[in-house]
Amino acid sequence: MSIVTFKGTREGVAVTLGGGAWHDVLHELTTQLNRPGAQTFFQGARVFLETGGRALNVTQIEELIALLAQHQMTLSAVSGAARAQEAFDQVRAAMPAPPEALAEEPSAPPAPAPAPSEKFALLIERTVRSGQNINYAGTVVVLGDVNPGAQVIAVGDVIVWGKLRGVVHAGAAGDENAMVGALILAPTQLRIGKQIARAPDASGPRARRFPEIARVRDGHIIVEPWMGT
Amino acid sequence: MPGRVITITSGKGGVGKTTATANIGVALARRGQRVACVDADIGLRNLDVVLGLENRIVYDLVDVVEGRARLRQALIKDKRLPELVLLPAAQTREKSAVSEKQMIKLCDDLKKEFDFVLVDSPAGIELGFKNSLAPADEVIIVVTPEVSAVRDADRVIGLTEASEKRSPKLIINRLRPAMVRRREMMDTADVLEILAIELIGIVPEDETIITSTNKGQPVALEDRTAAGAAFTRIAQRLLGENVPFQAFDHSEGWLNRLTDLFRKQ
Repeated sequence: MSIVTFKGTREGVAVTLGGGAWHDVLHELTTQLNRPGAQTFFQGARVFLETGGRALNVTQIEELIALLAQHQMTLSAVSGAARAQEAFDQVRAAMPAPPEALAEEPSAPPAPAPAPSEKFALLIERTVRSGQNINYAGTVVVLGDVNPGAQVIAVGDVIVWGKLRGVVHAGAAGDENAMVGALILAPTQLRIGKQIARAPDASGPRARRFPEIARVRDGHIIVEPWMGT
Repeated sequence: MPGRVITITSGKGGVGKTTATANIGVALARRGQRVACVDADIGLRNLDVVLGLENRIVYDLVDVVEGRARLRQALIKDKRLPELVLLPAAQTREKSAVSEKQMIKLCDDLKKEFDFVLVDSPAGIELGFKNSLAPADEVIIVVTPEVSAVRDADRVIGLTEASEKRSPKLIINRLRPAMVRRREMMDTADVLEILAIELIGIVPEDETIITSTNKGQPVALEDRTAAGAAFTRIAQRLLGENVPFQAFDHSEGWLNRLTDLFRKQ
């Protein structure tokens, strides 16, 4: 279990802190934010911090806000330990109100709450060719092939209605419940969350001709026939 | 009616872009089409060598673009075919000597007087490739049945599609039927499965290409050789004739079905 986990949600990014020394937490957070690909997802995102049992003081909250600001992210809410929430309220009270809050019409009707099962997906109706990258902070659906040399990176699932032969990363923000499914699943490299699997080096004629799905089970990526859920 | 600007490109070097440009040009000119071959590989010109016209160069593409020569002065008439001309590249300059805008203007001028303007693109995906792509009405990708060439072709197809050009057409060059039969080489179906674009020709490996290139006598001047006949068929397909594909490999039945599939799109 990582000491910092990210989960992309409809409203922003949920960041959960685990146990461990504070400087380790900050270090892990910096590492995760600086991962290649991560920046595009997180840029401009609102962050919902879940501190777990960790009590944070005002200085620590300010450190977090400064770190997130470097990635154009804002800390929107803090939940978890009461002391952390109080610290956040203090910091926020001392700061000028963010411009987006001012722009909000008080009389505007509240946005309808999304149904819990509703997710955003990016639909790509073409072949993703060598050298092309798809990055998306949700699920990616490709109606076409993903060719060798192409990359699809998604915070959610990746579904390919065609041949998947490039590099694919589902759950790119750390979600190991994400899955990858394809009509022909033969990626150069397949990543889910932090797990990495690659194609066998001996490229024998063992390409299977039926849909398959890859998931993480017990810390390993497993591939099984896609028989519906 | 203005002519068609067709850019011939590949990503990877050495797959036969220049040979294809010269031979398609020759095959089209033999069928009475007015053809201008443009060498866009500035600094590494060799379309003139393949066409056997090197000793006639006075002015080149960069001279025209920079106003030192009129377009007509720089065009070299082929010694065998009155319908064919070459606009050679400058050998002493670099790709940055011309811009996309200048290439578009140049090809616009050429297509007023020629039925076909064939642009021989340099390898790579940098400036020279972009300059060649900019004026294209159509794009032909040359690929050899090798994993690395197919990978690069896929990249170039992606870039072509991204520049809002029509889907390119594919020439599979240097296919070796015996190796395909032994399953030691990718066959046509394998290549098409990845690239998924319309096939416009398959050119078998042919040793006469090497001697003809060295002598500056393109094989397509005659239909005697397998490669020459293959380039003639490509020219016919460009002119809208429905020429069946030759059975160079075992997978012909499935291949024709596949090519039919792409043609219908």
